[in-house]
Amino acid sequence: MKFLTTNFVKCAVKSCSASQDSFPLKYSECQLAKEESEYNPDFVCHMLERLDWDAIVKVAADLGNTSIPPQKPEGLDPIMEDDQAILRDLHSLLVETVILEGKMTCSSCGHIYHIKNSIPNFLLPPHLV
Amino acid sequence: MLPTPDVKDVDYDLVYEPSEDTFLLLDTLEDEQKYIREKFAGKVPLAVEVGVGTGIVSTFMQKHILPSSILVGIDVNPNACATMIRTMQQNMNAGDEDAGISDTVQMSLLSGFRDKCVDLLVFNPPYVPAESVPDLPVSVSDSSWLEVALDGGEDGMAVTWELLHNLDDILSPASGVAYILFCARNKPDQIASTMRQKGWKVNTVGHRKAGWEVLSILRFTK
Repeated sequence: MKFLTTNFVKCAVKSCSASQDSFPLKYSECQLAKEESEYNPDFVCHMLERLDWDAIVKVAADLGNTSIPPQKPEGLDPIMEDDQAILRDLHSLLVETVILEGKMTCSSCGHIYHIKNSIPNFLLPPHLV
Repeated sequence: MLPTPDVKDVDYDLVYEPSEDTFLLLDTLEDEQKYIREKFAGKVPLAVEVGVGTGIVSTFMQKHILPSSILVGIDVNPNACATMIRTMQQNMNAGDEDAGISDTVQMSLLSGFRDKCVDLLVFNPPYVPAESVPDLPVSVSDSSWLEVALDGGEDGMAVTWELLHNLDDILSPASGVAYILFCARNKPDQIASTMRQKGWKVNTVGHRKAGWEVLSILRFTK
């Protein structure tokens, strides 16, 4: 599971759908890896536009990275050297960071989902469907 | 004609084998390439395929239809999720400059997805009319995963309706588009008119007689 994907998934339990606490999930006991991938600064720039920054900060902290700026970097220019560094860091965090194993917990209902072999499992036991 | 992705070393007792329906989906997406690219020009869209099977459609989408996208492949079958990642890796070349990002999640429809964030949705559902929708197997190596990929309950529509009823909450309001495959026994004309009454624009963008099945692909937009 790529770090980026944590920005799109929430608790699958129906009664949690209206709760603010069902996203992002809380990540724990995670085993991480880095998967090299082609760096494309324009892509990272455009990708940023659609991301929920608060969730990125929270999930990064869950995974032990507390160096993420609290505000979404705005107006990044892939040509500027300072911005390049930020974009590279974001590429490394969002695209290249993979969660191989771990747990995802809903802060609303407490349900725990598992990540195994890098695949997060959102299927629910019958009593929760 | 765009090349079909290679699919290798798959256990077809556990993962749905690409068939006529799959190939109609590929051909239709190729016909729709211009429409899709124009719709998402200058953006990084989120594309989601539900029911990835081998991942051949997701791979085709990311390689040929909408390269600079975030693509998430969903399947209830963990064998399919793992196969999709493999198919993607086998077909993407290192150094593809506009390569996007792909990932997979094991999930029932989009039940664990945030609302209103999917830009492009592709769904080849279990569309075969059957007495019921099968329960999910407990074991990863259970061959009844294939029945889950095929059997769609009443009119073959039980699973697809579950998604269509939620389409408003799934697609991004600004630009969302969904491509869904149907067979004649699903009564796609009735489905189209029901969805139009709910305010959707529905176009038939693919149609093919495949053996004894007549397949079509409908495009849903607001």
